[in-house]
Amino acid sequence: MAIRIEKIRSLIRINRDVPALPFIIAGCLLLALGLVGVVRVFVQGHEAVYGVTRQVPWGLLIATYAYFVIISTGLAFIGGLGHAFGVASFAKMSRRIVMLAFVVLLAGFTQIGMELGHPFRLMYLLLLSPHFSAPIVWMGLFYTVELVILGLELIVIFYPSGVNHRLAAILGFLGLLVGVIATSNLGFVFGSLSARPFYHGIYFPVFLVISGIAGGAALLMVVYNIVYKLKIPETYKGAMKSLERLMGLSVGVMILLLVWKVLSSLYSQPGDAYAAVMTLIAGPLAPEFWIGEVLMALILPLGMLVANRGRSMAVSGIAGLVFLVGMFFTRFNFIVAGQLPPMRAGNEGAGVETVNGLMQYAPSTGEWMIFALGLGVFFFLYFMAERFLEMEIHSKSKHLILTTESTERHGKGRQMIPSSSCSSCSSWLK
Amino acid sequence: MAIHDKKISRRKFLGLSTGALAGMMFSPGLSTLVRAGSGPVDPVPAGSRQFIASNCAMCVNKCGIIGEVVDGKLRKINPNKKHLKSRGMLCAKGNAGAALPYSSDRLKTPLLRTGERGEGKWKEISWDEAFKYVARNLADLKKEYKNRSTVAFASTEGFQEEFYYYLVNSFGSLNTVRHPTLCLSSNIQGWSSVFGVYPDADLKNAEFVIMLGSDRAQALITPDSVDFQRYKPKGQKLIVLDPRFTETGAKADRWYPVKPRTDQAFVLAMMHVIINENRYDKTFVETYTHGFEQLREMVQEYTPQWAEGKCEIPAAEIVKTAREFADHAPRSVIYPGRRSSFYTHEVYVRQTYAILAAICGCWDTKGGVVPKSSIDLDAHNIVFPFFMETRERMDKEATNLLKDVVPSAVQCPMIGTGLPTDSCAFLSEKDGSWISFREAVLNDNPYPVRGFVCFKQNPVQAVPNTAKTLEMLKKMEFICVIDQQMSDTAWYADIVLPHTTYLEGWDPAHSLSGIWPVVAFRQPMIEKMFNTKTMFEIAGGVIHEMLKIDSLWDDIDPADLTTFKKDIVEDVLDKPIQDFIRHQVKSHPGGWEQLLKEGFFTTEGGRPRYGYTRKPGFRFKTKTGRIEFFNERYKSAGLFPLPKYCEPEVLPEKGEYRFLVGRTAWNTHTSTQNNPYLWEIQKENALWIHTDEAGKMGIRSGDEVIVKSHIGAQRIKAYVTEKIRPDCLFYVNGWGRHSPWMSRVYKTGASEAEILDDVLDSISGSACMHETFVTVTKA
Amino acid sequence: MRQKRYTIVFDTQKCLNCKACTVACKFENEVPVGDDTYRIWVTEQPLQGRFPHLHQAFQPSQCQHCENAPCEHVCPTKATYRTPEGVVLVDYKKCILCKACMAACPYDARFVSEHHGAVEKCTLCAHRLEEGREPACVETCPTRVREFGDLNDPDSEVYRLLISRSHYRLKSEKNTRPRLYYLI
Repeated sequence: MAIRIEKIRSLIRINRDVPALPFIIAGCLLLALGLVGVVRVFVQGHEAVYGVTRQVPWGLLIATYAYFVIISTGLAFIGGLGHAFGVASFAKMSRRIVMLAFVVLLAGFTQIGMELGHPFRLMYLLLLSPHFSAPIVWMGLFYTVELVILGLELIVIFYPSGVNHRLAAILGFLGLLVGVIATSNLGFVFGSLSARPFYHGIYFPVFLVISGIAGGAALLMVVYNIVYKLKIPETYKGAMKSLERLMGLSVGVMILLLVWKVLSSLYSQPGDAYAAVMTLIAGPLAPEFWIGEVLMALILPLGMLVANRGRSMAVSGIAGLVFLVGMFFTRFNFIVAGQLPPMRAGNEGAGVETVNGLMQYAPSTGEWMIFALGLGVFFFLYFMAERFLEMEIHSKSKHLILTTESTERHGKGRQMIPSSSCSSCSSWLK
Repeated sequence: MAIHDKKISRRKFLGLSTGALAGMMFSPGLSTLVRAGSGPVDPVPAGSRQFIASNCAMCVNKCGIIGEVVDGKLRKINPNKKHLKSRGMLCAKGNAGAALPYSSDRLKTPLLRTGERGEGKWKEISWDEAFKYVARNLADLKKEYKNRSTVAFASTEGFQEEFYYYLVNSFGSLNTVRHPTLCLSSNIQGWSSVFGVYPDADLKNAEFVIMLGSDRAQALITPDSVDFQRYKPKGQKLIVLDPRFTETGAKADRWYPVKPRTDQAFVLAMMHVIINENRYDKTFVETYTHGFEQLREMVQEYTPQWAEGKCEIPAAEIVKTAREFADHAPRSVIYPGRRSSFYTHEVYVRQTYAILAAICGCWDTKGGVVPKSSIDLDAHNIVFPFFMETRERMDKEATNLLKDVVPSAVQCPMIGTGLPTDSCAFLSEKDGSWISFREAVLNDNPYPVRGFVCFKQNPVQAVPNTAKTLEMLKKMEFICVIDQQMSDTAWYADIVLPHTTYLEGWDPAHSLSGIWPVVAFRQPMIEKMFNTKTMFEIAGGVIHEMLKIDSLWDDIDPADLTTFKKDIVEDVLDKPIQDFIRHQVKSHPGGWEQLLKEGFFTTEGGRPRYGYTRKPGFRFKTKTGRIEFFNERYKSAGLFPLPKYCEPEVLPEKGEYRFLVGRTAWNTHTSTQNNPYLWEIQKENALWIHTDEAGKMGIRSGDEVIVKSHIGAQRIKAYVTEKIRPDCLFYVNGWGRHSPWMSRVYKTGASEAEILDDVLDSISGSACMHETFVTVTKA
Repeated sequence: MRQKRYTIVFDTQKCLNCKACTVACKFENEVPVGDDTYRIWVTEQPLQGRFPHLHQAFQPSQCQHCENAPCEHVCPTKATYRTPEGVVLVDYKKCILCKACMAACPYDARFVSEHHGAVEKCTLCAHRLEEGREPACVETCPTRVREFGDLNDPDSEVYRLLISRSHYRLKSEKNTRPRLYYLI
C-alpha cells in the first residue's frame, strides 16, 4: 500500500517550466463565470436564461457541446493512431492526448448537462427506457463508453508502475473506434432530421469526424506550443509535423465537404436547404460564415500550414489556434442555420415571428456563461494536470513505447513491448 | 411499452351538479382512450369537480356557458352545446372569461380618490363608507341644484343594468345615457321606420345574403356568426360590401370595396333594377305596404350607371346582384347587422335596406328578414316615486343644441329638410344620445349637470372625442364609477365601486329576443374572490343610505315613500336575488329548475315563429299600420319620407383619408384588451394603410406613424396591406389607454376616441364614427 | 372491440379567424400565456390577388398526430409515444428536454413547458376523450371547422367527410402521414 501511494506520488510533481498558472487562473475565472450561469439556470430556469426558442430549440450549447466532444474524439483518434497503430510520433504524446481528450470530453458534458432540462433523468432512462431508433440514444451511449475508455486509458497511461502497452493499444483502438462512431452518431442526430433539409443527410456525420481530427491536431499543436513556450523540442518535431499534415489533410477534406454542401444547397434553390445556406452566404450568419468559418477554419489555417511547410512550429500552433476558433463557428453556423428556416411561415396568427422569412437566434449571456463553464473546466483541469502531473513519456526508440521516468528510476518497469503493425500505418503520417 | 386499457370510472366526475353534460358524456363513438402505463398526461383534474351552467357576459351576446369548477376554482368555461342562441359555441372572449375572476388588475374593494382626479391616489374604504359617500353626494347635488336630473347616469347593457335603474329611478334623474347611440340606434330607427321593428336575418335558411358593412366573421353576433358559415344552406351566396377586406369579405362569393358612405346608392340602384324589371313581389307589396308608387318614382333617377359613379362598383355588378337578390326572394337577406354608427344619414341608409327587403317580400318568412320574437317574463310590478324636483332630459329640453354646438352634425346637403338641426328627431328615451348629451352638459344647456354615475360604461374610450369627454368629467362635482376593472373612466372618478364578475354572482333572467328566443340568467360558478358587490347589492346599499337622508325624499308624496319602501326596498332589494328571478319565471313551469340546470330555457320547442306579421289584421307599428316605403312620421317631422340619396357635403381633402372603425373577434369594445389570454392574441393595434398609399409615403409595416384628425393625434404602428381601400385608414379600438390599471395595454397603441370627430346623426342621435378625416405621417 | 383511429378533419373554408379554439385550448390544457407556449394556432394565409380582387384563407392547425411521427422516432427515452388510437402523446415524466422532437417536427407543433418540465403539444385533449368529450378546440368553434371522430367508424362524420370530399394533409412530402386532414 505504501508503495502504491509512493508510486502515485511519483506522478505528482510541480512543473515550474510549464506556463500553466496563467491558464489555471483563466480557467478559474471562466469557471466562476460559468458557475454564475449555472446558478442563474437553477434559479431562473432554462427558459428564462437561454436564448433558444420554440422554433430554434438548439442553440449555442448544442454547438459548444459538439465543439468539445468532437475535439475530444478527434484527440482520441490521434491517440488511437499512436497507441493502436503504433504511430510512434503520436505515441510519445499519449499522456497529453489522453488527458486532453478526457478533459475536453468532460467540458463537452458540462455543455450538454446544462443544455438538457433533465440530464439525470437521461442517465437512468437510457437504461430503463431506451428508444433504439433515436440517434441520441446511440450518441449518448457511445459518448458514455468513450468517457469510460478514456478514463481507463488515463489510468493505464499514467499507471505508476509503467504502461501496459497492450492494454493501452486495445484501449486506444477502442477509443478511436468508439469516438468515430460517437461523433458520427452526433452528426446523425442532425442528419436524421428530414424536417430540416439542411441537416438531413451524411454531411454532418462525416464533417464532424473529419473536423474533429483537425481540431484534435490543432489543439495538440497549440498545447505543445504553450507547454514549450513556442520552442518545441526536437523529440516532438516529428509528431508536430505529422499533426500539421493530419490537420492540413482534414481541413482539405472539410473544404471539399463544405463546398459540395453549399453547392448542393444552392443548386436549383432546394427549399429550406437553400434558405438555410443563404443565411450563411448572404444572411444573418454571413459574418460568422465568411470570417468565422471560411476564413478562420479553412483558408487561414490551411494557408498558414501550406506556407509554413513545417518550418516553424510556432506558426503551426497559431494555425491551430485560428482553426480552433474557426471550428467553433463551423458548429454554430451549421446548427443555427439549419433552424432559421421556420417549419411554418411567419404569417399572422402562426405564432412564428420571422424577419425576411427567417427565424432569429442570438445566444444569450446565460448561454455564453455556460460556454465559459466548459472552457473553464478545460483550462482548469488540463493545466492543473500540466502543472502537477508528469505528462512526458520519454522514448528511447522510434518504434517502442517506452517506460516512464519512474519505471526507469525504479528499474522495474513492465516489459517493453514493441507496438505492432506500426510501420505500415505510420509511414504516411511522418 | 405496455399500453393497457384504463377504464375511466364514472364516479371520477360525479361531482357533476348539472345534467347539462351528462347527455354527451358518454355519447356513442367516443370511448376510453388508452394511455401508457407510466405517468399520465394532462390528467382529468382531480378533486371535487362541478359543471355549472350559466351565460357569458364578455360581450352583448350572452352565449350559453358551462363552467368546469375544480375544488372551487374555475378551470375552464365550455360552451353549452344545447344553447339555442349561441348554437353550442364559445368564442375567444367567452373562453378568456375564465381568467376574469383571478385577474390581479381587478378592482377588489371600494376605492375613494385621495389625490387629484386621474392622479391615481386611492384609499380603500368599506362598502358602508362607500354607500354613505354616494348617498351623501347625491343628496348634496340635489340640494344644491334643486334638480335631480343634475346627476347623469350612464350605463351599458347587461343583466344587472336592471338594478342600476332601480338606483337611477330611486334618485329620480331623467338624464340617463346608454350605449345604443354609439352602436345601433340608427339601425333600429331605419328598419323600424319601414317595419315598425328592428328584425333579425334568417341566415340559416337564406339562399342569398348581402352584408353591407357588417363583419360577422369578426364582430361576432350569435347566432348569425355561426349560421352564416356553419349552417348556411348549400349554395348560399354571400355578397359583402365593405371598404375593408374583412374576414367576412374573405368568406364572400363577391366582395365589393364600396366607397365609404355610398352603400345607399348601391341598394337604391338595386331597387331601380328590381322595380323597373318588375322583379319585385307584387302581391306582397299590394298586401302589406304603403307608398310603393312614390318609391317607384323616386328610384327612377338611381340607375346602376349613376350608382357606379357614386359607390365605385360596376353597374353590371349592381344589376347582377339586384337580379340575384330578386330571384332568390323571399329567401334573400339584406342583412340588418348591428352597429350602424357610421354616417350622418345612416337612418336613411338603413331605411333603404329595409325597403329592399320589403319590395321583394323577404319579410317574416323562412330565409328572409324576420321580426324578433321574445319570451314573456313576469315583471315586478313596481312604481318608483314621482319626484317634483326633476327636470326633463337635457337633450329634450336643450334649445338649438345641435345647430350651435354640433356643427359637425351637419355634413349632409339637405339640412333643413333631411336632418333635424334643433334636437334629435327620434331619440330613444332611456338611451339618450351620447354626443348631444355631452354637448348639453358642456354648455349647461338647459341646466347644469354636476354629478356623473357610470355603470360599466367607458365613455373616455368609447365616445368620439376624448378631450370633450374629459372636459365633461371636469365639470362634475361628483363622479362614481361601478365596474369590474379600473376603466379609463374609473381612473377619473371620485369613488370606484368594484362589481362582482358574472362568474361569481346571480344575474336576473332576461328574454333574449330573436328568431330563436331564449330566457337566460346567471348563477355563480365560484365563490366571490374579492370584496365586490353586484349592482343588485349596490343599489340596495345606496338606497338604504339614501333613505337615511330626509332631504332626498322631501319632494315626493309621503305615501309614495311608504310604497317605495315596501314594494322596492323590502320586497325586492332586501330579499335574495333568487326570489326576484323565481318571480320572473313563475309563468314558466319548470323554468327555474331549467335555468339552474341548463342556464337557459325556451318555449315552443325553440322553433322559429315565421309569419305572424303576415296574418290578416296584423298592424305594423307604423303610422299607417302597414309596411311603409313612404314614412308618414318622417313627413310630419320634416324629414325625407322616402330615403333619398344623401350626398355628402364635406369630402376628404387632398392628403386626407376617411377613418374607419371596426372590430376583431377577440375583443369587446374597450373592456377586454387587458385579459392576458386576449392580449396575447393582439398586444397592440396597428393602422391599416393601403400598399400604394404607404408606398407613396415610404411607410412600411411596423413603422411608427402619426394619425391626425382635427380632434387629436395618435401614434401607432403601420400595417401595410391590400385589404383596405386606398382612400381609407383603419385601426381597431381598445388601445392607447389612460388607466395604468389596464397594465398590459396602458399607453400602448392608439385610441380611436382620441381622434374621432364627434359627428351626430340627428335623427336617431347616433354618433357617426366614419365621418372623420385624418392625415397620416411617418413618426 | 374494434380499434379506433382518431382524427380531426378541418373544413378551413368555415374558419372565421376568431381564435376561439386557441384560447379554449389554453384553458383546457392549462397552457400558460406566452408567445412560444401554444398547442394550436390559426394562421392567416398570405393574401392572394391584388386590390380589389383578393382572397384569403385561414388555417387552424396543431400537432398532426402523424402515423410516421418524426418526433416519436427521435425521442431517446420513449417519452413521446403513439397510442393504439393514433394519438401522439408525451409522457412528461420521461422527457429529458433534449428538444430533438422540436427540431424533428416539421409542423412546429411542440414547445417547452416549464410547468410540466417537459416538451408538450396537442394531446387531442386525451383527458376529455376519456370522458367521452370532444377536444376543446373542436367543441368551442363557432362554425365547426374541426370535426373529430373515429376513422374506423363508417358512421362517423369524419369518415363521411373524407370519403365524400377531396382533402389533403400538411407537408405530405415528408411522408409523416398525418392523422389530421384538411378538406378542399
